[in-house]
Amino acid sequence: MGKECVTIVINDIRNYKWFIITGLIAVLLTIPFWASNYTVSIFLLIFMYLALAQMWNLLAGYAGLVSLGQQMFIGLGGYTLAVLTELYRAPLWSSILIGGVISLIFALIISAPIFRMREAYFTIGTWLVAEALKIFFSNWGYVRYGQGFFITAAYQLTTTHMYYMAMVIGLGSVAVVYIILRSRLGLGLMAIRDNETAAESMGVEVFKAKLICFLIGAFVTSIAGSIFYLYQVFIQPYAAFGIDWTVAMVFIVIIGGIGTIEGPLAGVVIYVLLRQYLYNYAGISMLVLGLIAIVLIHVAPKGFIGTLQEKLGFEFLSPRRR
Amino acid sequence: MENVLIVENLTIAFGQLLAVNSLSIEVREGEILGIIGPNGSGKTTLLNGISGLYKPKSGSVIFKDIDITDFSPSRRCRLGIGRTYQVPRTFEKMTVYENVLVGGVYGASLSEKKARYKVYEILELTGLLHKKDLFAGSLALLDRKRLEVARALATNPQLLLLDEVAAGLTEAEVNEVLRIVKYIKESGVTIIWIEHILRTMMEAADRVLCIASGKKLICGNPKEVLAAEEVQEVYLGVEEG
Repeated sequence: MGKECVTIVINDIRNYKWFIITGLIAVLLTIPFWASNYTVSIFLLIFMYLALAQMWNLLAGYAGLVSLGQQMFIGLGGYTLAVLTELYRAPLWSSILIGGVISLIFALIISAPIFRMREAYFTIGTWLVAEALKIFFSNWGYVRYGQGFFITAAYQLTTTHMYYMAMVIGLGSVAVVYIILRSRLGLGLMAIRDNETAAESMGVEVFKAKLICFLIGAFVTSIAGSIFYLYQVFIQPYAAFGIDWTVAMVFIVIIGGIGTIEGPLAGVVIYVLLRQYLYNYAGISMLVLGLIAIVLIHVAPKGFIGTLQEKLGFEFLSPRRR
Repeated sequence: MENVLIVENLTIAFGQLLAVNSLSIEVREGEILGIIGPNGSGKTTLLNGISGLYKPKSGSVIFKDIDITDFSPSRRCRLGIGRTYQVPRTFEKMTVYENVLVGGVYGASLSEKKARYKVYEILELTGLLHKKDLFAGSLALLDRKRLEVARALATNPQLLLLDEVAAGLTEAEVNEVLRIVKYIKESGVTIIWIEHILRTMMEAADRVLCIASGKKLICGNPKEVLAAEEVQEVYLGVEEG
């Protein structure tokens, strides 16, 4: 009985979906006007990690591409921004965009060899490419070796500016995934997620679908990376091309619910808040996050949202067709 | 009658094991070719060779005068070869409607709007219409098998490969499957049907091919094939012993 009631209430919520979404966005838009700087920066982080996680979810949760090398696009995006603005005094916006395009081209080039590797080999392959880039950048004089850059162009921006940039990329990533899932490509992706072999014999062009996701993921991840480095002001190769980035994406998507649009939304809030709180315990923060992930995988292997959906049959941003 | 499919000296190997050993078959337009044979005789492997899941070691597969030996499974599907899986491989987290829609949108290259009518028609035929919004993962065996057939039909096949769609079903359910298969045949689709339940072969198949150890044993009229001594020996003998 209780469960039925909840389901009814939830279905009511769904009827007002667009109303609720518009309201939420309106509230988010006003945050810089009334919230403290600290709160604004928390939301800023949430939006940036949301974009990263949403893209990783698109790859791992739908296209079956478990990449551990997404940091390569963050690094490429961040470095393009740094180099173009510091060495050439290029405008901010075009630098960010060019970073995205460079990441996209790089993704296209490496896709030829890397898509020949399957499953675990693909995972290791992507990681190796990112590691190779890290070593290459820290030995490349043009980008000042491991010394890094201060992105001074960021000084012209206020936290409010960055908040809106992060909001656009964060919510934009959700919209991108939602639109993809509602499209022809999305139908194929969901089929691939559920059974790749069967999808292939139903006529789904698995390779093409995966490649498109990989390219979109590279582009958006790169833009989000640039915005992050704009916020952080300082970039150097060990952090920019470090696997910590992807570890965060995996954590967010797994605890939230892989293969759902809502999963990363829930996961990112938990992750960012936890991380902020755990700053005081720097030595053990990774341990605590790891422990939480392990416990959650055992208790609710489909993540918060995945488990909720299974129990209640509720999807807020539903890609369902009728 | 014209041959829709010609398989020539097809050999599919797993390491040293020749699961399909230099097998040749011709499938005529509009017929139901039944395939029988003991477990492990290479029936499903042959089907996988035709649908493109396995690459052959040698030999060729020709569909409507096109050599498709090197084509991917998805390309073969779009050309007009639909298939079902022995153990249903339905898309568990998608609804019944969406499962079939995948076939219409990708296999038959229709827009989602145009595929919609076709999908409803097929759901009606296969008796799944009232379950269209259920998740495939929640279906019972008969419905999953129905969904396998529905999905394959949505790809608009000229050649349909059925892999034990009646296995594990009750007598009444088998009749239901027979009805559906006969209907599909009447709509002009050529069918290759692997089945252990010999009654279905007697009732529906135009010709029956018996394979053992990856080789063709005998092919012809269902009655004659089932009565043939070598079939009795190899097929029923192994099956019971």
